[in-house]
Formats: sequence, structure tokens, C-alpha cells
Amino acid sequence: MTEAVIRRTASGKMRIDCVDKNRSAGFFLIGIAVLSTLGFLYLDIPWSKMLARVPQMGIVFWKLGHFDFSNFDLIGSALLETISIAVLSTIYSLILSLFFGMLAAENIFKCRVLSSAVKAFFTFLRAVPTPVWVLLMMICIGMGPSAGIAGLCVHTTAFFTRAFAQSFEAVPSETIEALQSAGASKVSVFLNAVLPSATPELVAWTGMRFEINFSECAILGMVGAGGIGYVISTHIEGYEYGTAGLAIFCVFAIAFCIERAFIWIKSKQRAC
Amino acid sequence: MEPILTFDHVTKRYGNGVCALKDVSLSVRPGEFISIIGPSGSGKSTLLRSINKLISTTEGNIFFDGENVSALRGGRLRKNRSKIGMIFQNYNLVYNLSVLQNVLHGRLGHMSGIRGILGLYPEEDKEKAWTLLEEMGLEKFCYNKAGSLSGGQKQRVGIARAIIQDPKILLCDEPIASLDPSSAKVIMDLLKSTAQKRGIPCLVNLHQVDVAMRYSTRIIGLHAGEIVFDGEPESLSDSVLERIYGTSVTNLVAGTSDEKDWQQAYAV
Ligand SMILES: Nc1ncnc2c1ncn2[C@@H]1O[C@H](COP(=O)(O)OP(=O)(O)OP(=O)(O)O)[C@@H](O)[C@H]1O
Ligand SMILES: [Mg+2]
Repeated sequence: MTEAVIRRTASGKMRIDCVDKNRSAGFFLIGIAVLSTLGFLYLDIPWSKMLARVPQMGIVFWKLGHFDFSNFDLIGSALLETISIAVLSTIYSLILSLFFGMLAAENIFKCRVLSSAVKAFFTFLRAVPTPVWVLLMMICIGMGPSAGIAGLCVHTTAFFTRAFAQSFEAVPSETIEALQSAGASKVSVFLNAVLPSATPELVAWTGMRFEINFSECAILGMVGAGGIGYVISTHIEGYEYGTAGLAIFCVFAIAFCIERAFIWIKSKQRAC
Repeated sequence: MEPILTFDHVTKRYGNGVCALKDVSLSVRPGEFISIIGPSGSGKSTLLRSINKLISTTEGNIFFDGENVSALRGGRLRKNRSKIGMIFQNYNLVYNLSVLQNVLHGRLGHMSGIRGILGLYPEEDKEKAWTLLEEMGLEKFCYNKAGSLSGGQKQRVGIARAIIQDPKILLCDEPIASLDPSSAKVIMDLLKSTAQKRGIPCLVNLHQVDVAMRYSTRIIGLHAGEIVFDGEPESLSDSVLERIYGTSVTNLVAGTSDEKDWQQAYAV
């Protein structure tokens, strides 16, 4: 056996870090530096022109800031449509993902092949961005909110399945064992022990994703899935900055409210 | 009386080559209260967990209630498990659910189909859970979250969950290892009284020799996967203890069976 020796730096100070260091962080930073340089060179950004346009930006924001309330009924109905799309897509995905999450979690059916297959499938779905899914759905079922819901559902389900599976896997195996040893079936163990244990986390994921879906809806409107995004893009194109500004502000206000609401729900959950 | 559980030359070898049980043979009859003692890694948990096939054995047969456990699978295995109550060191409750719900989990193995999956318990089971919790002195906490209870109270919920199964045997894996001496006494007393009252045999893994001496009708000593002692507490001499723990009695913290020491340690 080798003698234990205190490691010191060149200046004689005692070292306290591990011998075999994990160098991945260093490689990561170097990689980022190299990639950003390459990106910068490839895109050839005209910085001088951009700087010259900064005052223009100020003017646009100034115009957006002068809210025009004359089209408020239009904005209101578009907002309602957007919220409905966000709510429905989140709820449908939630239900689907409870099922797929159960299959994807390795500690429920204890079948590696099944969970790996489900996870791989949803990783593929997640790799394709939401607007692309919405465009694909529009080809299938036509323009409008239903395409938005379907497209959002694909991505949200893929996201939830992975997140939920992770939450299910975090439930201690002893808890599962306790019900298993009482003779409960796998689905029964899932519904009676795993799901209740993971509920607070599921609520947190749902809140987070609902917020994302709401803002995502704003973008989806621009590709033709209806809602507030459509109102924003048409009014900007028509130089009606007042209406567009009000719509943008409403999106902000609602997103903020959603976040506060879920923080409140979480604090209630912890209290009881 | 017919033995309810029989180990017939059982050997368990883990994938890494560790032989956790070596040619273990024993039988358990109704009404017995058996403590299994032995040093860490001697195979106590392995022995207990092989009974309900949480661990499958390598050689030999385990007969429980007339069936060969090693051959059971799927629904038959679940049916068999529903007749075996298990109590854990870390209670293993679902902390987000109420105490009542946790106790009722013991009934899931007896319920078939959709009712079992959704946890739609019959009224009589709910009444029974309530009565059991009264027996455990926990009726005040029935509707509290299980996570809000103290360790000793959680273990009492664990006992109620096992008893409501109407088990033919109780397996307890270090039921008092996470408890202070006074709650440990409460748990051991409850365990013994509830089991004896119903004639359910108990197999208890213990680290405290003195507790084993006090409560057991029979003690099994394991050393490196082998049974080196199987008999009444009275015949557990110092030399036997040395064989079980592989070290001189003077090196054992709680090696004495002295009544006075015991009372000191467990003073309430
Ligand atoms: N899943 C496993 N894989 C490999 N080896 C294992 C496994 N579980 C237990 N062992 C080994 O089997 C032996 C017996 O373990 P067991 O858990 O039954 O001991 P124990 O008597 O319960 O110990 P303790 O008192 O610490 O709980 C140990 O040497 C352990 O390392
Ligand atoms: Mg153990």
C-alpha cells in the first residue's frame, strides 16, 4: 500500500479536491467558446448596421406602448381562444402522460425494454419543435385551434412523459415494495402508492408546462393556429402598433398570473 | 401443530457470488415468536425476503401454507403474498396519503379487478382499519397525513397495515432499528400482543440480543448465511453468542441478557 500524503499546491497550500478530477466542465466551457466563435464567423453579423438601428427600436416600443383599446373585444376573444388551447392541450397531455409515464418509469413494470422503447419514442417526438408539429397537424386537420391543440399535445405529451417518469422513478423502491409484498398488482401499486407520492411534483411540472404552452400558443397563432398570436402578427403587419402592444401586454399579464397561481398552489400543497 | 412455513435446504447466491444463505432448513408453527439475530450481512434480510419471493432463492424449496413459494408466479404469487404481512425498518408508508389509506393498502392484495386498482375499499374494510388503528392507539391520527407522524407512530401504522391483511405469518425486518428505546418497547409490545392474540407467527430480524431474549419464544442465530443456533432464548449462552457474532462477548455492545441492564436501556 502507498503512503497517504497531503497534497499541496505549488505555493504550499493544502489541497482538498479529488485526485481524479472530473474534467468535463472544462471541456464544456472550451467547447462553448469554440462553437460561439464559429457561429459568429459563419453568420457574419453586421454589428454597425444593428447599432444604427437601435433608435428605431425605441420608436417601435414607444408606438407599442400607446395602447389602442378600440379592438379590445377582438383581443379578448383571441385571448380566450389561446387560453382554451393551452388548457386543453395541457389537460389532454396530462392524461396521456400519466399512462405513458407509467410505462416509461423503470420501477413500475421493471421491464427495461418497455421503458427504454417508450422513452426513445418520446425523445424523437420531443426533438421536433412544436411549430413544426402544428404545421403538420394543420395539413392533416386544417387551419384553426384544433390543429394548435393537436400539435401542442404531441410535444407536451413527450415532455410530460419524460418528466413524469422521472418523478415516478424518484419514489423510493421501499414504498413500492411494501405494497408489492402485500400482494398488490403492478397497476394497483402505481395508482395507490407511486402516483400519490409523486403528485406534488406532477403539479409543479403541469404548472410549468401550462405556462410554456400559453406562450407557445402566442407563436402558434402566427403560423395559423388562431388565437392571440394571429392578432399580434396581423396588427404588426398592418402597422397598428397600439392594438398589437395591448395584445402583447395581455399575454404578459396572463403569463404572470399563471405563474403566481401555481406558486400559490404549491405553497398550499406544502402547508397541508 | 403443522408448520405453516418450512425452509428445506435453502441456498441463496447473489449475482456477485456472495452466498447469503447456506443450506438453511427450519420450520415455523402458528403462535411462535421467532427472532433472527446475527451480524450485519449474515443474511437475515435475505432469509425474510425470500419467504415472499421479493428475493428468489438459488437452491432448495420454501413451503408456505402448503405451496412451494419458489414455483409461484403472477397472480398465484400475489395471492400468496397477500397472506404474508411485512413490517419494515423504514415503515415504507406513502407519506402523502392519510393514515387510514395507508392501513387499507394492506387490503389491496385481497381485492381483484378494477376495485383493487382504483383502491375502492369495501365499507367493512374501512371499519376494520379504524378498529385496528384504535388498537394501535392512533384513532386521533386517522385522517392525518402519514408523513406527519413520529417514527414510532409510523411503525404502528405499519403494523396495522400488515395485520389488516389477515396474514398467516408476520415478517418484520428490523422493526425497531430506527426508533428510540421507549418507542421500540411500545412497538415490540404491540407486535407481540397483536400477533399472539390472533395466533399469527412472527419472524423478527433484530440487532438487539436483549430484546430478542425478552420477547421471543425461539431464537435463530445466523452467521455468514448459516444457522448456527436454533432454540429457546434460555439456551442462548455466551459461547453461542460468540459463535453467532464471531467475536468475544466482551466486544458486543448489548450482549448481556441481564434484566437490570435491559430495564435501564428501555426505561420509559
Ligand atoms: N442485491 C444484492 N446483490 C448482491 N449481494 C447482496 C444483495 N443483497 C444482499 N447481498 C449480500 O448478501 C449478504 C447478506 O445480506 P443481508 O441483507 O441479508 O444481510 P443482513 O443480515 O440483513 O444485514 P443487516 O443486518 O445489515 O441488515 C451480504 O453479504 C450482502 O452484501
Ligand atoms: Mg437487513
